[in-house]
Amino acid sequence: MTDTTKLLDARKLNCPLPILKAKKTINGMQSGETLKILATDPGSVRDFEAFANQTGHKLLESTASGSEFHFVLEKS
Amino acid sequence: MELEHVHKIALIGFFGATVFGAIASRTQFCTMGAISDWINMGSLTRFRVWFLAMGFALIVTQILYLTGSIDLGESIYHTTSFTWLGYIVGGLLFGIGMTIASGCGQRTVVRLGGGNLKSLIVLLVMGLTAYMTLRGILSIARLSINEPTTWQLSDAGLASQGLHDILSRLTGLSPSTGAIILTAVIGGAAIVFALLDRQVWSRIDNLLAGIGIGMLIGGAWYTTGVIGFDDFDPIQLEGVSFISPVGNTISYLMTFTGATINFGIAIVLGTLFGSFAYSLMTGNFRIESFSDTSDLINHVVGAVLMGFGGVLALGCTIGQGITGMSTLALSSSLALGSIILGSVFTLKVQYNLLDDMGFWKAVRATAIEMSGRKSSEG
Repeated sequence: MTDTTKLLDARKLNCPLPILKAKKTINGMQSGETLKILATDPGSVRDFEAFANQTGHKLLESTASGSEFHFVLEKS
Repeated sequence: MELEHVHKIALIGFFGATVFGAIASRTQFCTMGAISDWINMGSLTRFRVWFLAMGFALIVTQILYLTGSIDLGESIYHTTSFTWLGYIVGGLLFGIGMTIASGCGQRTVVRLGGGNLKSLIVLLVMGLTAYMTLRGILSIARLSINEPTTWQLSDAGLASQGLHDILSRLTGLSPSTGAIILTAVIGGAAIVFALLDRQVWSRIDNLLAGIGIGMLIGGAWYTTGVIGFDDFDPIQLEGVSFISPVGNTISYLMTFTGATINFGIAIVLGTLFGSFAYSLMTGNFRIESFSDTSDLINHVVGAVLMGFGGVLALGCTIGQGITGMSTLALSSSLALGSIILGSVFTLKVQYNLLDDMGFWKAVRATAIEMSGRKSSEG
């Protein structure tokens, strides 16, 4: 079970807003803290994978549940 | 029953666009997304894929031109009337619009095919605005911007606004030699830039998006210029675009019994169908709607800016960005640069707005940041 410290609800938001909000939120967090993101934009799966690859934050979880996508990022 | 010439061309366009829509849906080919990845993540991969498409479209189109298969002088891109202010203002407005509406015209069509009802509203508002800018009340604003600022390039002895004609005028080389040099330099640079990233050439989706979409846009010139060539039943030489054709599609559907389809309309309908079919087949079709009133307002404002800006700039990220660039038109570079600038500015404003600063303060902070100055407020 991931120790999620923050939750970002980006449901019903389209690109680029989920990434923008995640970037802003994670910038204010400490290294090792985790952020859970809820999204509905299908493009967010690719976006968060690319975001993690590019920024060095760890994508601990990327799952789909019905029409929702859940991601957990750990700040590097 | 034998198909009329225009219907045959439209049918080929529809099938080609169906493939385009499926590829764009599968690979999430998106110019705004590419700019967002660059600005928000520092990742140039999607931008490189976009350049791969542009490079391939340019090479295919110029081969058709250099072999005499098509006469680019018949296209809208090689006019000698250079409406420079329209390209800049239109491009900036389009770039702002596509960012707040979550994607450009092409992306909106593809997203609608995947079940996004926000895109339905964007498409309708964008198409109506484009039509009003072409033929309706907003054409007054378009002409007010363009008429006093138009440069007639023929006065300077130029045969067209093609970069190859400009190079020919400046150096004395033949236009064909100019086209070969520019295609090698610009097309080659775009493809090399794309393939320098391992993420581009090692992923089949990225190659499919870049090469597939580039070839299909080149193929559009072949369809209208070679297959469509008929002295007795001429059709407009055109490539792929998503602003005016969306307006024409709405008009066509409303006046169906008295109207005739054209290539641009077939491209819009084919792209929509390709995305829809791909989404259904892969189980990715899902209905999406607006989250709240501000979400609706953002998308409507973005759609208006795209409809007006896209017509003023003579095209969108595909119409000017790839199709226009493939003809080596000077206006395409100017419009594309303005679209990117407008989008980058808006992405930065959106990011600053998350700090709960007011809208104008966010605009000011972004302007200061992009001009390279330091804010006096620290």
